[in-house]
Amino acid sequence: MCLCGSKDNKMSKINPAFNKELEKFGSVNFNACYNCGNCTAVCSLSTEDNSFPREMVRLSALGLEDDIQASLKPWECYYCGECSTHCPQEANPGELMMSLRRYLTAKYDWTGLSGLLYKSLPVSLAAFVLTFVAVLFFANSVSYDLEKLLHFGHLFEGIAIGTIGLLILMPNVARMWYLTILKPGIKVPVSKYAKSIGELFVHMFTQKRALGCDDNQFRWFEHFILVIGYLSLLFTTVALNWFGTSSLFVVILGYVMSAIVFVVTVDFVGSRMKKKKEVSKHSQPSDIFFVVWLFFMGLSAFMVRLFIDLDILDSNKWMYIFHLTVLVQWALIIVPFGKWTHFLYRSFAMYFAKLKN
Amino acid sequence: MEKKPKKIGVYICHCGGNISDYVDVEKVRQAVEGDEIVFLSKTTMFACSDANQRDMVDDIKANGLDGVVVASCSPKLHLTTFRNVSERADLNKYTYVHANIREQASWAHSDNKMGATEKAIHLVKAAIAKSHYAEALETNKIKAVKAVAVIGAGVAGIKAAISLAEKNTEVVLIERESEMGGRVAQWGPLFSTQETGREMIDRLSSQLKQHKNINLLTNSEVVENKGSVGNIALKIRRKDPETGAEVMTEITVGSVLMATGFDYYTPQQAEFGYGTSDKVITLPEFKKMIDSQTGAKLTHNGREVKNIAYIYCVGSRQTEGENTYCSRNCCTSTIHAAVTARQKFSHIQNYHFNRGLRTYGKQEILYADSLRQGDIYFQSYEDGLPVVSVEGKKTIVKVNDILTNNREIELEADLVVLVTGMVPRADNSVGSLFKLPKGRDKFYNEVHMKLRPVETVIDGITIAGACQGPKNIAESVNSALSAATKSYSIISKGEVESQPLVATIDPAKCSWCGACEEACPFDAILKVDKDGKTIAEINNTVCKGCGMCAPVCEPDAVDLIACSSAEIMSMIDALVTPNP
Repeated sequence: MCLCGSKDNKMSKINPAFNKELEKFGSVNFNACYNCGNCTAVCSLSTEDNSFPREMVRLSALGLEDDIQASLKPWECYYCGECSTHCPQEANPGELMMSLRRYLTAKYDWTGLSGLLYKSLPVSLAAFVLTFVAVLFFANSVSYDLEKLLHFGHLFEGIAIGTIGLLILMPNVARMWYLTILKPGIKVPVSKYAKSIGELFVHMFTQKRALGCDDNQFRWFEHFILVIGYLSLLFTTVALNWFGTSSLFVVILGYVMSAIVFVVTVDFVGSRMKKKKEVSKHSQPSDIFFVVWLFFMGLSAFMVRLFIDLDILDSNKWMYIFHLTVLVQWALIIVPFGKWTHFLYRSFAMYFAKLKN
Repeated sequence: MEKKPKKIGVYICHCGGNISDYVDVEKVRQAVEGDEIVFLSKTTMFACSDANQRDMVDDIKANGLDGVVVASCSPKLHLTTFRNVSERADLNKYTYVHANIREQASWAHSDNKMGATEKAIHLVKAAIAKSHYAEALETNKIKAVKAVAVIGAGVAGIKAAISLAEKNTEVVLIERESEMGGRVAQWGPLFSTQETGREMIDRLSSQLKQHKNINLLTNSEVVENKGSVGNIALKIRRKDPETGAEVMTEITVGSVLMATGFDYYTPQQAEFGYGTSDKVITLPEFKKMIDSQTGAKLTHNGREVKNIAYIYCVGSRQTEGENTYCSRNCCTSTIHAAVTARQKFSHIQNYHFNRGLRTYGKQEILYADSLRQGDIYFQSYEDGLPVVSVEGKKTIVKVNDILTNNREIELEADLVVLVTGMVPRADNSVGSLFKLPKGRDKFYNEVHMKLRPVETVIDGITIAGACQGPKNIAESVNSALSAATKSYSIISKGEVESQPLVATIDPAKCSWCGACEEACPFDAILKVDKDGKTIAEINNTVCKGCGMCAPVCEPDAVDLIACSSAEIMSMIDALVTPNP
């Protein structure tokens, strides 16, 4: 059986030092693995033809980076944590898969910023402070004029979505395609790209593969509601100009969607903090930032619209400045270089897997 | 031979229905009741039941029977039971004769009841024929010298000697080298205490010296062995280390405890690059290397060593070769050495090319540690062993790793360590002196792997440590203490009993041709002069009654007690005479 689509029989160069690199992405003790395969046996998503996570643990221990970069398996795992629970060596295979997703996110990113932010908390904090200072600086430059601030905020959303998408996210998805399809030499007829495209959208909006995880229905449902809420809120603010509209329907829609976002994220933040479940035991700063900022996004958007409706926003400009800061940090840090990208990579991974098949 | 007619009792057992469902036991009884020596015959539901045993004792005493035959199950189950019944009725236990009509008749021929009954009749008649000859026999008792010779003063020998000395036994500890300690004394830190082998041996030797009843003979070898259990005379050659002069001493002991240890396997020329690449060494060499070097870096031939490849099972678990056994201790020993090297020297990376790891028991902790420290393990089966090749100045190890989907892995090693296992001592002179049997692995063999693990078929000789097969220190000491206890139990009563079922020589017929001596596997035949004639004589304490000597004796001078030619012939006659 050929491994992860490697096209030739070239000898593999072993690099045990790779575990030091992966540790920076959050891996814990995966070297302890003695290849019993319990993890693969208990995994409800692993199949005979497409088995993990033991194989990924092995590739990581040997430091076979080309194989890891060519693999889509890290994205095909939805981290129920059963593998880590059943590991007799406490080698945390589930967290290894998570770390590989962080590592791959960094590898796909052509700017190299993802890797920098994942590996260094000080750099991440500096980025958050810097963006905050920039927002304050801008607000000061327009003399805290609410009209101008709101106008800029709306404009920023549109421009950010376009620019980040075009300059960062699309090239990165292209790099993912290069590493997983083109570089390993997998031939896919053009017609197949068209025929399989449905896979991409189905997984992007439903994450239906996660339903295959054991006892995961509630977590899947929460996640599904959050994705729908987040996308609807995005649409309401950007396309329907929630903060500027006078349509009662749009106003109410915005309230409902923003409420969904911050209410559902409370549970996500809570479990990350409690660290009771296997999936949140080894949370990295990037995981925390993602859910906390999502919570702030929903809450601050809700409050801004509430302040507008109560007509107190002009006397409480700080609320909008807070919202704008969260928005800028979300759009410039978390979306292009943080955990947000899993939204893209997971769905593209399912699409590419269909192509490879 | 003229014999006065006997009076015996015959009991035919139903065994519930195990026998009587297929064999007509009443018909069997009727068929034998008319025999001239059969005084009484009975059938019984369970011959072995307490009630029947009591009845048998009463029958014997009331009727003054000379012997008993029970036809029931295999003698393996109840021969001793009915011998004991005879003894309780004041008969000699060797007057009892057993017939097996369950395994050999009812069970074997459950498809043919008539035939089974016919066969059972024959078997009982044969037993009665044998009963004609069954005589009272007495066990032989000989005086036992209360001293034990322990051969080999490695860790097993030392522990055995101390254990025997604590039981107030005289011990002669015989060591070929100039110092005691054997292999263990040469080893550095041991798993899991980190005490060095040297320190452990020093501790033991100071304990040993406190025992006045241990006589340590170094530079000494056993060169001659005479006598048998209880009374073994050994001739010992002792070399003076300074003058080189040899002194012979003789000792007499009751038992000998062998603890002669093992040799390391030496790889063949070019086996995994041994001898063709100067970077290929064996595990014992590697252990010496890491124990002796003190710098921050590990060096070999002046070059720094970073990447070390360990190739497991070299000389063990061979598919082509004699050493098919697993050498047990090498997996743990290798991982321990690798972990030690990683901790002691900088930049060490260990790569283990194994065939499945056997770090059993607590040793598993060491394996887990080594994994956590980042040691890499590759695995292959015997049909895909790693290949070591020399390319210019590089030494390359390749393997198809089954843990990575059989991917071919290539590695440039600064040092290749061949994990060589234990093999039997090349010099087996002391073993052949005692005619110690060897197993298929060429190590000394025990009587029974599980139930008699330290005794040999040579009475009075016990084995301990790695001379019996690969063992680690803990296992060697275990077997040493066990062998010490066994040796002690042989001599502790001051006399040794031997069973009377032995061979006999008719001096009138024997004219010494030596054929029986050659055939005897136990050295029980002595060449003696008697009344001006050279004949064979049986050493009753050594003879096991195996009968190997009987068929090779041309003048038919050899007979076996309780299995004499006349007895066997009469049984055959009974078996082949058709039933009326």
